[in-house]
Amino acid sequence: MFLADLHVHSTFSDGQMNIPELVDFYGRRGFGAIAVTDHVVEHRAFLGKAARHLNLCLTPATFPLYKAILRSEADRAWREYRMVVITGFELSKNSWFNHRSAHILGLGVKDFMAADGDIRDLARGIRAQGGLAVAAHPVSTGKLEPQTFHLWSRREELREDFDAWEVASGTKWSDEVHTSGLPLLATSDLHRPSQINSWKTQFTCERDQGAIFDAIRRQDLSFKFYQEPVSEFERPIHGWIRRPSRARLGARPVHGDLGNVAYT
Amino acid sequence: MKPLKGLDFQLEENLESFFRLEYPKFELLFSVASEEDPAYEIVRRVASKFPRVRARIFVGEVKVGGNPKVNNLVKGYQAAAHDWILVSDSNVRVPRDYLKVVTQDFDEQTGVVTAVVSGQYLGRGFGAPLEATYLNTFYARWMMIAVKFGAPVVIGKSMLFRRSEANRFGGVELLAQYLAEDYMTGHAMKLLGRRVKVMHEPIIQMIGDYSFKEFWSRHVRWGRIRRAQSPLVFPLEPLLSFWISGAFGAYALSHFDILPYWQTLTMHACIWALCDIFLMERMKEAIKPKNLLAWIVRESLHVPLWIHVAMGTSVNWRGTKLNLQQGGLLET
Repeated sequence: MFLADLHVHSTFSDGQMNIPELVDFYGRRGFGAIAVTDHVVEHRAFLGKAARHLNLCLTPATFPLYKAILRSEADRAWREYRMVVITGFELSKNSWFNHRSAHILGLGVKDFMAADGDIRDLARGIRAQGGLAVAAHPVSTGKLEPQTFHLWSRREELREDFDAWEVASGTKWSDEVHTSGLPLLATSDLHRPSQINSWKTQFTCERDQGAIFDAIRRQDLSFKFYQEPVSEFERPIHGWIRRPSRARLGARPVHGDLGNVAYT
Repeated sequence: MKPLKGLDFQLEENLESFFRLEYPKFELLFSVASEEDPAYEIVRRVASKFPRVRARIFVGEVKVGGNPKVNNLVKGYQAAAHDWILVSDSNVRVPRDYLKVVTQDFDEQTGVVTAVVSGQYLGRGFGAPLEATYLNTFYARWMMIAVKFGAPVVIGKSMLFRRSEANRFGGVELLAQYLAEDYMTGHAMKLLGRRVKVMHEPIIQMIGDYSFKEFWSRHVRWGRIRRAQSPLVFPLEPLLSFWISGAFGAYALSHFDILPYWQTLTMHACIWALCDIFLMERMKEAIKPKNLLAWIVRESLHVPLWIHVAMGTSVNWRGTKLNLQQGGLLET
């Protein structure tokens, strides 16, 4: 049994840690798998162009480097931590309006794809590469940030095109997604170290990309809230310790203490 | 590792300086695309003069991407005996203690050690002092400032890194997809959490007969690479010329009746020139009247050159036309 975080960002887009730091960060905590999923934006849209110029996303120029670093770090992660590192990206269709924005995770991808075009074509494009298409944060994340509701409003129509839907993307659990009957995945959408305290997916399969993908397709998985003991990055600054409140965790059945909530 | 192509000015003397290096253990790896390249005979001749120095010559490219310089380097890179690789262009000349100096600041956190290039001209043509002035003022100044602010600016004329680190991002083979393999080396190292350092001493590039056309073509190429790599910084480049920044500053000060326009502009030009004279001295360039003229022309050409750079995406590298995409990727 191992924990996996399949939605993590690096300095290739808007994450705070570079890929080797991510590998050590998760490896030292005993995780069995991570997927690095940096943003890919639309080429034609204004927000996409802005993100490209600000180096906040993957581009055709940086993708070969991204893949090469992930490949070598995956080898190191396996050697040092027995941890699987999956190459991914997050196709980010951003709009000024929440109901028009959509983010799609591509896990196990091989080639670069721009986020332009229809949602269905993008999901199929990911699957054509042998990857898994996951609807990222389809409902409110509970954070003060632009939301991506487009996929949720088309969930019936897109049901067959996605392998999983994020039931939690950070600290907020969504009952709406959980009871929808859609295949589920819980991730942290980690951009900075403190976001490690969030929902994760737990697997019982082999530590292998193919086995993990099969487990997601079969929904042979469970979810767990991962909570760190107070650590370096959480040391009180101005008297604050950042811990998710019970309300932010959602009204889930709690087994054990708040720091180690398991939900299956 | 020395990639060679064609006859650079004083190539023989430049190569000999590498055979005179003083360092406990090193080897020289020369790469030429073909035996017909005139550099091939010269490097063979120089190597025969120094039989005690371990040197190998690799002939033939391995086509791993669109960058001909990297294609030329691949055989040598794969055959290198040591982990520390120093790539150095054929047109630079180094002192005997170069390897000691370049390696002394290399620590665990270092990804690449590079150098500021000092242009020393001996040849004819107005392009030569113009080129030297460009390297010793504009490039030296902005490169040092960029590195200070954490930008991974690396110059291929002197680039020291560890092969084991470079292999973490795919080695030089991956860099062949980009025109600015030097900048991408620094960028990749930064993404691995490593730092770019600049040697304390500049590295000398000898400039021979150099026409204005050659000067222009080279800086259009460099400008287009900068534009492809940093599209947000490129629009601000005209401000790096003393005419434009001076004109804006003088206008602002005169507008608020702090200082008259022409006085401010003259004062600004004098301060700017004085700073550049100090910089040229630090770059080991003798201050000559020709340099002053070259400096004024260079500053005046800044905006026309910038406009030319902005008008296209293709570059000419030693007779080969290459098309650039955003991010410095070469079109295949």
